[in-house]
Amino acid sequence: MKHISEEQLIDYYYGEAESPAAISRHLETCSECAQSYESLVHDLKDLKPYAVPPRDGAYGEEVWRSIRGSVSAYEPTKKRSLRGWFGLHWSFAAATACLLLAAAFFAGRQWEHRNGTAPVNVANQEQGRQRVVLLVLGDHLDRSERLLVELKHAEPSTEAPLQAEARDLLSANRLYRESIRQQGDPALASALDHLERVLIEVSNEPAGLSQAKLDELQKEMNTDGLLFEVRVLRSRVQEDVNRKGSTAVAGKGVSIL
Amino acid sequence: MEVNDHTIIRMVLAGDKDAYGMLVARHSQNVFRAAFRITGDEADADEVVQEAFLRGFRRLQSFESRSEFGTWIYRIAVNCALNMVNKRKHEAICHIGEETDPVMRQVQVADTAAGPERTLLSREIESLQAAAMASLTATERTAFILRHMEDRSTTEIATALEIAPNAAKQAVFRAVQKLRRSLAPLRVNP
Repeated sequence: MKHISEEQLIDYYYGEAESPAAISRHLETCSECAQSYESLVHDLKDLKPYAVPPRDGAYGEEVWRSIRGSVSAYEPTKKRSLRGWFGLHWSFAAATACLLLAAAFFAGRQWEHRNGTAPVNVANQEQGRQRVVLLVLGDHLDRSERLLVELKHAEPSTEAPLQAEARDLLSANRLYRESIRQQGDPALASALDHLERVLIEVSNEPAGLSQAKLDELQKEMNTDGLLFEVRVLRSRVQEDVNRKGSTAVAGKGVSIL
Repeated sequence: MEVNDHTIIRMVLAGDKDAYGMLVARHSQNVFRAAFRITGDEADADEVVQEAFLRGFRRLQSFESRSEFGTWIYRIAVNCALNMVNKRKHEAICHIGEETDPVMRQVQVADTAAGPERTLLSREIESLQAAAMASLTATERTAFILRHMEDRSTTEIATALEIAPNAAKQAVFRAVQKLRRSLAPLRVNP
């Protein structure tokens, strides 16, 4: 006859046995197991719960008074959800703009190939391409600037519109940084590198941005300094776009935008 | 009519901070009981209760409305109590050189009966039980208290301790085995 293990008996005592009826039947017929179980019950009954010191009816109020000063009231949900909606709306608009820009660029190139345009001026084509890159980069810096401004004025939240936007910007930022590094623009590459570290920090915060995380970003990652850098770069890129645009027009090249 | 917990939580999240006081008043006794049993110390238990409700307030946005606030805050309290036990253990290790009095390591037990009326045997049982409980690891001790004294299921213990159900069950088994071995001298031989 197979006896019941101590583990099974403990489970049975606490009402968690897989087949309590089978154990009951076994205990009725097997004196050895019945004796083991009796001994277990005796031991466990000896282990009485500690008597808990009484707490009066005002205890809850005392506890609340002791912690009340350490907590601040939540902001009304309506305000927060509006802010979240606004953030989401911006992300959507920016993503759509990027998509349209890329589609226009692709369509322009296809049109150009199909119609076998007149002898291509290689220099003008290159200028046009650079202008598109600069325009897209300008848009990226614009979005990054908005994110940094939001981050600067952000309040602790468990919602994640900033994280979603940061994740969206992160992959694009990696491509631009790599491309800029190859072109040999250390100032811009370094700024994009700094921006990438901030974007990683923001997007990797799954439980929303706590006050501590915001402080860390603002102090340790120097987001204020980065915001200034991004503004300077954005105006520099804008100037480059204008200059390249006017050159392309003067050279009668194909200006896509 | 009594306002239910979910309504109070909505009020707190809408900016009514003081509504949380109602939740504290409603659940603090249960939380204190579990905290005292796990820490074995009245002052530590009070600290755990405050810490648990403070954490509860700060994490209230992550509270899922389909669960019960009582169960949720209980879980947080068990976690805080376990941290407290580990912290005390660490402090005890640091002061091990000074630990010459075994009475210092004993768990506080509420004095419900008059001292002189206590028999020598009951003192011996309490003392052995306290020593046996102290010999368990923090997880074993907490799992056993939740199972044996708080009447919680294996699933609830696993959730509260943030371990797998099988690990929770094993912790209870180990605790029972160790306790039985420690309390063997008390068994009356026929």
